[in-house]
Amino acid sequence: MSVQVIFLAAFGLAAVWFGIVVFRTHSMVRSALALLFSQTAIGAMFLVMETEFLGVLQIMMMATEMSIMAIFMVMFMMDPGGLGAMDMKHQRRLSLWAGLVAFGGATGLAFFANWGPLPAEIPDAAEQVRLLGFELLGRSMLIFESAGLTILTAMIAATAMAVLPGRKAEAQTSEPPGHEGHGA
Amino acid sequence: MTAIWLLLALAVGVYLLAVLEHWASTNRLRPTAPILAALSLLGSESLLPRKPDQLFFETGPVLLLIAALLSLAIIPLTPDLIVTDLATGALFFNAALSYVLVALIMAGWGPDGAYGMIGGWRFLGQLIAYAMLVVMPITAVAMRAESLSTIEIVLSQEGLWNIAYQPLGFALFLGAGMAMAFVPPFDLPIASGDLAGGVQAEYTGVRRLVFRLGRLVLVLSVASAATVFYLGGWLGPWLPGWAWSGVKILAVAAVMLAGGRLFPRVSEGGLLAWCWKLGIPLALANILLVGILVLVVPL
Repeated sequence: MSVQVIFLAAFGLAAVWFGIVVFRTHSMVRSALALLFSQTAIGAMFLVMETEFLGVLQIMMMATEMSIMAIFMVMFMMDPGGLGAMDMKHQRRLSLWAGLVAFGGATGLAFFANWGPLPAEIPDAAEQVRLLGFELLGRSMLIFESAGLTILTAMIAATAMAVLPGRKAEAQTSEPPGHEGHGA
Repeated sequence: MTAIWLLLALAVGVYLLAVLEHWASTNRLRPTAPILAALSLLGSESLLPRKPDQLFFETGPVLLLIAALLSLAIIPLTPDLIVTDLATGALFFNAALSYVLVALIMAGWGPDGAYGMIGGWRFLGQLIAYAMLVVMPITAVAMRAESLSTIEIVLSQEGLWNIAYQPLGFALFLGAGMAMAFVPPFDLPIASGDLAGGVQAEYTGVRRLVFRLGRLVLVLSVASAATVFYLGGWLGPWLPGWAWSGVKILAVAAVMLAGGRLFPRVSEGGLLAWCWKLGIPLALANILLVGILVLVVPL
């Protein structure tokens, strides 16, 4: 087993561990930053696999994105510090099954998919940047542009729904939604 | 041998910047001031606030220092005096410094204090303002160099430095860089006037020392990047390359530390409005202009 594989496994395990931490903590900020470090570990995996641009990009983007997610969670959740024993786990049975099915699917795909022949040699980092540039402004342009636009729309829609006038008054008059692990 | 020279350059750079910062804030040039301040911080007790998020409280200042140090790894003082010449150097600089935000959020959230927390989240708002104005001017610089490698970027300026080739980009980058290093007038996260020190408020003793050291390395890093991207790095007549790099970095740092104090502290909303309504259109215009220049008058 080469050093590369050992590092890849180590960062992979780190990514999984931080992913678990997301749900083990009660604090919204800790949860968001745990997700950040999980994603950073995936960026490090890219670096180990000698895809320098993708790795650095992943490590850069996630820092900002997860921090912004953290402030949204603090703004909209009722117990951001986790002092009232806020629980991150909801709909346990459904999410457990969904997680198992997704894990099985991903593992099956990894083993049974036809990945084609391995590239004989990996282009150097500068060449990768050039190739990615052509890819992004070529045949992948439409996919990336629509993905970006979709995410932006979803963000605006989610925020608009969260701050919709009347939502608060409605929540105060009606029964609180019955999340598991919420006092009761 | 290179490692020793680089460490020496880092130590001297941080020390000179500390002297400069003292001069900028007190108007007195005292070479002993940084040493005395460091000793005083080392000698005072490092208090732990009540009910902290201890992991974040301890990690914040250290992460700030590490992020700033990492970003210096791609700065060439001469073609040989560089930690690592990455093919994605200019992007790596941004990647490392985006963890400054994470560090400040951790340091602000950690001590369980209102001033610190507001300071930390303020920096997030500040990032929304300055982030594009760091990346877009660098895009124009990379367009001219046709590379993200910092050495290639310096070599692309042999005919004409980028400060003359794309002055608009330089102005935007320097302003955004000052906001990134939260020096006045962009010192919202640690504002002493209205937040009692903000993120710094709950830090004392050695933890505060690490925080301030991290901030100084951050200023050094932004000044070095401005030198590499716009002032031709080590290029210059008579003096050896490393001396040119040093002189230029110190000059940019002096402008950052002293020049900013001539302006009143901006407000969070004002900064966002200025950056998005004026800064980003100008940065886009800069990219267009440089694109035309690169194609029409290659220098």
